[in-house]
Amino acid sequence: MNARSPLASAAQSAVLLLFFGMIVFPIAWMVLTAFKLPRDVHSLSLNFSPTVQNFGIVFEAPWNIGLRIVNSVVVAFFTLAIAIPAAILSAYSFSRFEFAFKRGLFFLMLATQFIPAVVIILPFYLMFRDLGLLDSRTGLVIVNLAIVTPFAVWMLKGYFDAVPIECDEAALIDGASRMAIIWRVIVPMALPGVIVASVFCFILTWNEFIFALILTRDKAVTLQVGLVSFRTERGDLWELMAAAGVFITVPAFIAAVAIQKHFEAGLTGGAVK
Amino acid sequence: MHDRLTRYLLLVPALVIVLGTTLWPLVSAVTTSFRNWRLKRSPVPQGWVGFDNYVFGFEEPEFWNALKVTFVFVTLDVLIAVAVSLGLALLLRRAGVLQSLTRAVLILPFAMSPALIGVSFRFMFNGEYGVLAKGIGWLIPPLADVIWLASPGYAMAALILSDVWHWFPYLTLIFLGGLAAVPVETEEAALIDGATPWQTVLLVVLPQIKGVIAVALILKTIFALKMFDSVQTLTGAGPGITTQTLAHYVYTIGFVHYDMGHASALAVVLTALLVGIGMFYTRLVMPPKAVAR
Repeated sequence: MNARSPLASAAQSAVLLLFFGMIVFPIAWMVLTAFKLPRDVHSLSLNFSPTVQNFGIVFEAPWNIGLRIVNSVVVAFFTLAIAIPAAILSAYSFSRFEFAFKRGLFFLMLATQFIPAVVIILPFYLMFRDLGLLDSRTGLVIVNLAIVTPFAVWMLKGYFDAVPIECDEAALIDGASRMAIIWRVIVPMALPGVIVASVFCFILTWNEFIFALILTRDKAVTLQVGLVSFRTERGDLWELMAAAGVFITVPAFIAAVAIQKHFEAGLTGGAVK
Repeated sequence: MHDRLTRYLLLVPALVIVLGTTLWPLVSAVTTSFRNWRLKRSPVPQGWVGFDNYVFGFEEPEFWNALKVTFVFVTLDVLIAVAVSLGLALLLRRAGVLQSLTRAVLILPFAMSPALIGVSFRFMFNGEYGVLAKGIGWLIPPLADVIWLASPGYAMAALILSDVWHWFPYLTLIFLGGLAAVPVETEEAALIDGATPWQTVLLVVLPQIKGVIAVALILKTIFALKMFDSVQTLTGAGPGITTQTLAHYVYTIGFVHYDMGHASALAVVLTALLVGIGMFYTRLVMPPKAVAR
């Protein structure tokens, strides 16, 4: 396909440029809006005097985005701290052993992802109401495990499969226990994979919306649900939403870019070799 | 060999989590779906009502509306997202400055939260000052006076656009991964044999990545069927209930009207639909052995 007309390749460049613009524009527009004064928000002109005051205002009452950030970070941290080690153990078992109902169990893990979040939340809402766990970070961690754990098992199994079984055998001959093999041999060898899976789960948890929307009211509200509070009687405070949006987006972007190379392999790795 | 036991013990933590956080709620929802339980009237379930919640649920026009909305949304969303991303992936195969620039930003929309995307697009589709509404009106003058989020068809279009924006760059990454495994020789051979570039792509390249296309279709369909976040933050299911997906309808019955029995019945129907479509799809496009080795 080397003999191509200049017209075709110009057209191709134009299309690519269009795609690039389409991807970047909404993000750029949000960032710009975050630097606007309220009087400039409704203007489409790029000629405005930028301000950083929005990033300060969102930390003041009644927005209290500092508390929302803490909530989001704590929930994401504990969700991963529970889900990833649990997923490592079972992904190892799925990867290395044969046992009854293995395929059925593995498929069951995946099939749980067909259950919509709104279904999962109904009984948990009722249970947390009785246990006093509504509007608590503990409650959020519990339900977030539902979306994160199966994904982690699926992804990690793919990465563990790629570690040669001879590594296990060599360690076994040296007298290592299975636990030692998992944590001192397999996890270090598949470390890039473990990091990719963790980052992927972090993004899922960080961006989770419906659970927090239903379960939290005030003290456990996360960044995502905090966005809703910028719709006031005075109208939508777009510049503050955009500033909060920047706080939401930066950690997720950093995480995503850090593992970009491996990302596409991640979500399909378990199914397509 | 104590490994005989170890293999099961290792499974326990993740299995407990997955069963406890996904299967238990499902079973519990099934139970609740046979009871009369309006939270506004009683903190505890009242009586067993058999299939009343289901019968009642199917009689509600809102249910059929949500089913229709979901069907329209999923069909258009999946087709557009997959077609666009396949096209872009094919364009991005070659090396070049523009190519690497575009590749570099592909991951960004996927890392953005659906709730935030909904909020951003609501801002950009605002009838008075939305930059996208204005931009589209400038490019296509007949659309200049459209109040996007206040007109049913256009609100749906905005919802689909926002979700396609969220997903197509990521699907492109998946397709690029698949295309990288296609040997260049097959393409060259087809071209030498006199096939046109279009024929080569359609008949030689795409068939070799049909497994990847299948995975992308399944993934996108499942997520589209569960669509909730940006419905809530972009259109608020409106105008009226013209963009109310099934997931949003269940949410409304459960957490706006607090009718737990009715919401549970709907939740069970939605799950059955998702599992049914998911299994059918998976079987159709992926041989069982590919799922778990």
